[in-house]
Amino acid sequence: MHEPALDVLNVYRQEAGLSQGELWLRYFELGGMSTGFELEAYLFGMLTPTARDHDVIAHALNERFSELGGDHPVAYLGEVHDT
Amino acid sequence: MSLIADPSSFGVTTTLEGQSTVLALRGKVENLAAFELSALLDSAIDRHPESVILDMSELEFVGAAGMVAISNAEKRLADMGAALTVRSPSILVNRLLAMMESAQEARLERALPGHGHLGPEDRSAVSVSPPRFASSLETSDLRRVTALPADPDVVDGALRLLVELARSCVSGADGVSVSLLRHGRLSTVAASDQTIMAMDADQYATGEGPCVDASLKGHWFHADSLDTETRWPSFTPRARGLGIKAILSSPLKAFEQPVGALNIYSRTAESFEIKDQETAAVFARKASVILSDARAGVSDSQMALRYKEALQSRKVITLATGIIMEREGMDEDDAFTALLRLSLYHGETLRGRAESTLLSARTPELPMEGSDA
Repeated sequence: MHEPALDVLNVYRQEAGLSQGELWLRYFELGGMSTGFELEAYLFGMLTPTARDHDVIAHALNERFSELGGDHPVAYLGEVHDT
Repeated sequence: MSLIADPSSFGVTTTLEGQSTVLALRGKVENLAAFELSALLDSAIDRHPESVILDMSELEFVGAAGMVAISNAEKRLADMGAALTVRSPSILVNRLLAMMESAQEARLERALPGHGHLGPEDRSAVSVSPPRFASSLETSDLRRVTALPADPDVVDGALRLLVELARSCVSGADGVSVSLLRHGRLSTVAASDQTIMAMDADQYATGEGPCVDASLKGHWFHADSLDTETRWPSFTPRARGLGIKAILSSPLKAFEQPVGALNIYSRTAESFEIKDQETAAVFARKASVILSDARAGVSDSQMALRYKEALQSRKVITLATGIIMEREGMDEDDAFTALLRLSLYHGETLRGRAESTLLSARTPELPMEGSDA
């Protein structure tokens, strides 16, 4: 288990150049069920998302980084890579 | 008009918590209330507390003058070795405080952002995607669940603050304004003085000028000397007539669409150096985030289209997850992770992989010879 900084997702959000509203829409698009305010609380580490929610947020950010020509810097909690 | 006092009017309750003075703020800090806040902060600081705590849990709005009052109090306290602490600020106030911090960094160190370096001015043709079709999808219900409400007061307050900060942080700035597209027309929503208002209005009237170009084309435009400028033949002489020699317009965007411009005017030619251009770009980016959150410049039909696509994407991903659950005997979370794994393996978007999964499920199996299944 690694202990990331509380607002690590928010740091990625800023690097991805997404507003919170835009990230929420992308998260919703991928099936996310939490409200915008819950998402904000996840971003700043005030609420802990479920593993599924975390991975939906991570993937929304990673797809954005892909659009910008980058790789996928945000780690997932689920086993998404072949072991 | 009701005779009952406006519940959102400004109010302060002062209490002591140990060696700290707590100022609980209510309502809106605008105009006169900012002076009141400033005076209250001064008198609290005069008592030499160990710290001053601003309780913002019931604060609805802080205008630019209020932010300056808070910032001044912070500096006075810091000089005395004491601290100013902000308790329970709302999302909006947090955002304004963050802007304030970045402005101070810019003022102290002229910090350059690590990314977003300004490239050469881009004058290439802009592709503007035409509105495809108006959707019948109702946005009002969806808007209710989106992250932040679109409140024009909030946006205008933030933009007025931006104008004030840009004027104090960009050296060579004699005047600053923000133009915004509202209902298909450009207008000035914040300006540091009347001359600047007139400069902007002139550009809207003639349809030319750096502010119009930055607002519509979404690039930055820099006229470093109006004496030699040729791009805006009818606007340039009038600007010179008002004593303006240099203009720097940075685009404001919401959802990547240009929606306005941050305009900085100078009475001195060649007064904007690279560091000033970058500081202006930092402010323009901050404002763009606020505008995106407020859905500025995004029409209902564009928003409806966006929501319709989001709903379609959700549907496809949910269906694909269901198919994997059935095929693999997995629970929903594991099926979602499996879909995610497939999308990463194939280098596709999640939605793209989900669409492929749906297609594979739709392909009818060929009936076996002689089978009646």
